[in-house]
Amino acid sequence: MIYLDNAATTKMCEEALKEYEYFSCSNFYNPSAIYLPAIKVGVALDEARARLKKCLGAKKGDIIFTSGATESNNLAIRGSQREGKWEYVFSSGEHASVYNLANALKQEGKTVHFVPLNKGGEIDYEALEKLLTPKTRVVSVMFVNNVTGVINDIKRISQIVRQNAPSAILHVDGVQAFCKLKFSLDELDVDLFSLSAHKFHGPKGAGALYVKNKAALKNLVFGGGQEYGIRSGTENVPAIMGMVKAAEVIDVGANFEKVKCLKAAFLQELCGDEKIKFVGENASPYIAMMLFEGVNGETLTRALEEKVIVGRGSACSAKKAGNHVLSAMGFNLGQIKGAIRVSFDASLTMEQVVEAAKIIKTTYLQLLEKLK
Amino acid sequence: MKSILLRMGELFLKGENRGMFENMLISNIRKKLEGLNYKLQRTRGRIMITDFDEQQEVVERLTKVFGLVSLSVAEEVDATVENIEQYVSTIKIGAKTFKVDVNRADKRFPVSSMEFAADLGGVILDANSNASVELYHPEVIVCVDIRNNGKAYIFDKVIKCQGGLPLSTSGRALLLLSGGIDSPVAGYMMAKRGLKLHAIHFYSYPYTSQQAKQKVITLAQQLCEYVDDIKLHCISFTKVQEEIHAKCAPEFMITIMRRIMMRVAEIIAKREDLGAIVTGESLGQVASQTMQSMTVTEDALESLPIFRPCIGLDKEDIVKIAKEIGTFETSILPYEDCCTVFLPKNPVIKPKLAKARSEEANLDVEALVNECIAGEEVIHIKSY
Repeated sequence: MIYLDNAATTKMCEEALKEYEYFSCSNFYNPSAIYLPAIKVGVALDEARARLKKCLGAKKGDIIFTSGATESNNLAIRGSQREGKWEYVFSSGEHASVYNLANALKQEGKTVHFVPLNKGGEIDYEALEKLLTPKTRVVSVMFVNNVTGVINDIKRISQIVRQNAPSAILHVDGVQAFCKLKFSLDELDVDLFSLSAHKFHGPKGAGALYVKNKAALKNLVFGGGQEYGIRSGTENVPAIMGMVKAAEVIDVGANFEKVKCLKAAFLQELCGDEKIKFVGENASPYIAMMLFEGVNGETLTRALEEKVIVGRGSACSAKKAGNHVLSAMGFNLGQIKGAIRVSFDASLTMEQVVEAAKIIKTTYLQLLEKLK
Repeated sequence: MKSILLRMGELFLKGENRGMFENMLISNIRKKLEGLNYKLQRTRGRIMITDFDEQQEVVERLTKVFGLVSLSVAEEVDATVENIEQYVSTIKIGAKTFKVDVNRADKRFPVSSMEFAADLGGVILDANSNASVELYHPEVIVCVDIRNNGKAYIFDKVIKCQGGLPLSTSGRALLLLSGGIDSPVAGYMMAKRGLKLHAIHFYSYPYTSQQAKQKVITLAQQLCEYVDDIKLHCISFTKVQEEIHAKCAPEFMITIMRRIMMRVAEIIAKREDLGAIVTGESLGQVASQTMQSMTVTEDALESLPIFRPCIGLDKEDIVKIAKEIGTFETSILPYEDCCTVFLPKNPVIKPKLAKARSEEANLDVEALVNECIAGEEVIHIKSY
């Protein structure tokens, strides 16, 4: 069985598992307690913040550990929300944890703007510029789209935001970018950045929010005042330590080059059939989105299951019909029905990827024949 | 001391067979109360549960036993005037009107029923100054049952149970369980008439999902609240549907599919010694549930009858029962079942038997049916 749904989740790496075990069984103390072993855990946790910042290329700012990206995204946006006639700007391609929150803000009576995507799947930069005003409070745009893999130019976005919306806080959902693309947060100039451990071989149940200026972020829950008072609740130390270790051991540059070759070989194997359409320009090598004409992507996913595991766009909303990202790119429901997302990992071999592509093609054609 | 009085409904009509029905009912009650502490007493057409710890749990479970019409949680006291008066004076009447009914099975009790009822009414009035006696349409009836064993049972609430006939007293049948709203309701309705159930589910992987099958397992589990356990026969139907799609006229897809389902169901039913097939069909609800469609479907069966308890119910009525028995929320989960795969644009509404048979002649029906049976997966499902 070849696993090609690495954008949904990845296998935990040995190093992360070791850390997880160590901080679960040996060094398990509550980092907020006052006896020495506990204080040592607290120190390790603070060191982990610094280590994670290094991975992110951030000299300034702080790290708030969370339960994952959904929480980070909610904390970033809700925590930056303010009373008054502020406006909120989101790209139309955001993950459900941002997109549904944006809709909730709208229902609460806030002024919410959705920036359209261009045909290639990137945010429409001109449209973004037009929607920004001095009243813009939050701009939230994802780095790499989880459905299509399309990369937004965050540097360009931050420049547009700084020029047109001086009061705005720029949040970037970096879940599919962190540990996959090379970047430096300081260079990108973003205010808030979300990441999730299990997308880069860390444990599930841990994530982080990078915060440039923590004074501007309000807490959503009340409690013991952990994480600078912004995210109360005893930290999930084993998962956090595992996460940071996982981030450190990844060779982002080498992996990127390898996965780029894997994706190219995969696409090469599948191209040539006009019934298979590749979606998205300027996409991350880690994700390939395809539309298969004439079949239901769900059926194809299940037909493949024993040999190749693929995704459907977003595991978080796989159960819902339709897909707002593909809709925003102008695809109709009939086309979206045939959507399959393949996502790679550097641990895959070229043979596996080529083999998977062949299986996908054969299975698709067989299914098409049966449905004729 | 608290006792639970159980009332049986139609069992009284059963003449010579009454003993069998009662024995089955008691065995079903015991099964239902498994794991709880209690004593069951059976005296002259009356079943009583005593010596229990968890009253609410016992009552809740008993309300799901078919064959019981209602039950009351009664206070048991020694049958003396003083004792009864003393207990009755503690009753809080949570309503404006009430009356007292006294039933004196023990004629040695010194006061007549009428007199004693009036006396107890006075006692209650003294303790509940806001309430008044209303003999014809009282909101609350306080019942005092003076039995021959020297005990009196006092209660003021009657809790409705399922009614129907004890499970298994009518035999055993095979329910076609699709995952929709109707089939679990059909199963419940027939179980209520005393049928012990097996269920059969057809799935079309990869056209239908694993979740769709899991949904049927959940529905069967929910039905087990009433029927204790279900043997679920899962049949892969992919090949059959692909063959029909490839070889038969598209408008006959569902007709022929259902004819083959019936054949598979009948073979399993006969093997498992089940005497009927139960479906959730309701007349005219969809193309396959017209009179003509059902005639053509039924033709595929050799000898077993089909029971369709929902046949005369509107969708609203079926939904109401589904909500009552707790299957509705699961039934509406959005997973495709095998009937929606290869769905033709214009399914035939009034199929002709001859045409259906001739379309079917394009298939090797026997081989397909045998393949279905060969791939059967059996899951034993029990209530939680």
